[in-house]
Amino acid sequence: MEEVLIATSFLRAIIERSFMQHALITGVLIGVLAPLVGSFVVIKRLSLIADTLSHFSLAGLSIGLFFINILGLPLGDPLYIGMVFAVIGALLIEALRSYYKNYKEISMPIVISLGTALSALFISLSGGFNTSIFNYLFGSILTVSRQFVYIIIVLTSVILVLVAAFYKQIVIISFDESYAKLLGIRVNLFQFFSTVILALIVSLSIETVGVLLVSSLMIIPVAAAMKVGKSFKSTVLIAILFSEISVLMGLWLSFIFSIPSGATIVLFNIIILLSVVISRKIIGTWLIKEKNPETMRSSLPHKKDAT
Amino acid sequence: MRIDVDNLSFGYDYRTVLKNISFSLQSGDFLVLIGNNGSGKSTLVKCLLGINKVPERKIYLDGQDIHNFKDWLRVGYVPQKFDDFNYEFPITVNEILTVTKFSKVDNDQKLQLLDRMGILELQNENINELSGGQLQRVFITRALMNNPKLLILDEPTAGVDQENVIGFYRIVNDLNAEGVTIILVSHDTKGSKTNMSHIMNLDEGRGEYINVCDLDFQEESK
Repeated sequence: MEEVLIATSFLRAIIERSFMQHALITGVLIGVLAPLVGSFVVIKRLSLIADTLSHFSLAGLSIGLFFINILGLPLGDPLYIGMVFAVIGALLIEALRSYYKNYKEISMPIVISLGTALSALFISLSGGFNTSIFNYLFGSILTVSRQFVYIIIVLTSVILVLVAAFYKQIVIISFDESYAKLLGIRVNLFQFFSTVILALIVSLSIETVGVLLVSSLMIIPVAAAMKVGKSFKSTVLIAILFSEISVLMGLWLSFIFSIPSGATIVLFNIIILLSVVISRKIIGTWLIKEKNPETMRSSLPHKKDAT
Repeated sequence: MRIDVDNLSFGYDYRTVLKNISFSLQSGDFLVLIGNNGSGKSTLVKCLLGINKVPERKIYLDGQDIHNFKDWLRVGYVPQKFDDFNYEFPITVNEILTVTKFSKVDNDQKLQLLDRMGILELQNENINELSGGQLQRVFITRALMNNPKLLILDEPTAGVDQENVIGFYRIVNDLNAEGVTIILVSHDTKGSKTNMSHIMNLDEGRGEYINVCDLDFQEESK
């Protein structure tokens, strides 16, 4: 009975409270975007890129807070400066990747270090840690504005249209860059735009789960779906499904227990990943047992041998 | 596809790999490139594919300087190894073939190709679950999806069992008989049961280019 009441109060809050509606729309849309783009990131083995961009975005947020709070400049929401910095970070990564052609991964630690150093410097100049910085680090989906919801609706629509229009090119580049070049696809141009789009998604996801957890939204549902999906499309759809379950459960649980929503969403993602890994192990062992009971029996250590 | 290579030299940094290579192939010709490891076979292939940037007026494809050549969809390529492909993420044979074809996919043509390659029943399989021989057939099918006029195969039978090798050369010979120009990189000619019309021995980057009609072992190699 109590559960029904809690569920009803959660639904009532969504219907009646605009901040809950904003949180739900933001969560659901990020829940689609993050694993969709995350799939291409995982295929290209660039899982660290989201972390790098989020740390660089934090530099922009800290600089924004410094200019707005300390110097009193009317720059609006620091989020936009964070977005600009995420894009600058993306461009820096691309520039360093082409400079160190054979050591492309070097670009990540360089950009992440620069971002963290700038963040530390400007957080200190802004008077140290405060609520805003804490929200940027761990997310505050319940405080997103109506304007932010509009931005995320537009960005989601644009990205979905782009993915649909260039689906074939994006998939070939992700799986086989050399072959994509051979087919005459302008790989560098696609690479540039996809990194910029990734930067925008990362900086917007910061509102949901924060700088420190943003890459988990992109990577963990995909990591779980990879072990379940049989085709590319089904894997991406399963990743989005896992992501949406995490977002909705995370929002619900954080509402009931008054705990941080970002952390709850990420922890729910981890629970799904663990469930997939464990159930695959159990099913795998069961299948072997069903097919070759003799092999299984002979492979088990005999009590006699053990002594 | 017609290919003309005119006095091509190519190297990496300070090392010259190809020295003054010249040859011409007409549509429907079949060139087998042989040579020791490091003799420049793969380098020449990369030059022909536009991956290695060569000076102007060195390579012409269908009469066009490679710098101005745009019809790359008509060039099929099967690499020596499939290391460049990012495995582990699930993708089916069907999905690989569909994304390779930029124009609308003709389902009948796709099914015919799969059938011809003997992998029709694998079309919905995740490629991570295929054997080396099956994978090779998938990548050949991929190279054929855009109806190539030139097919370049870089040691395609390395690591493939004898039964599959014979089947593979039968398919390549059939494609060649249909007018597709073939360039096959191979360690030797004796094991390859091909329709080759020309053979080039790349020895230390110098191409010794011979029309197979002039060779005594033509019958043996066939």
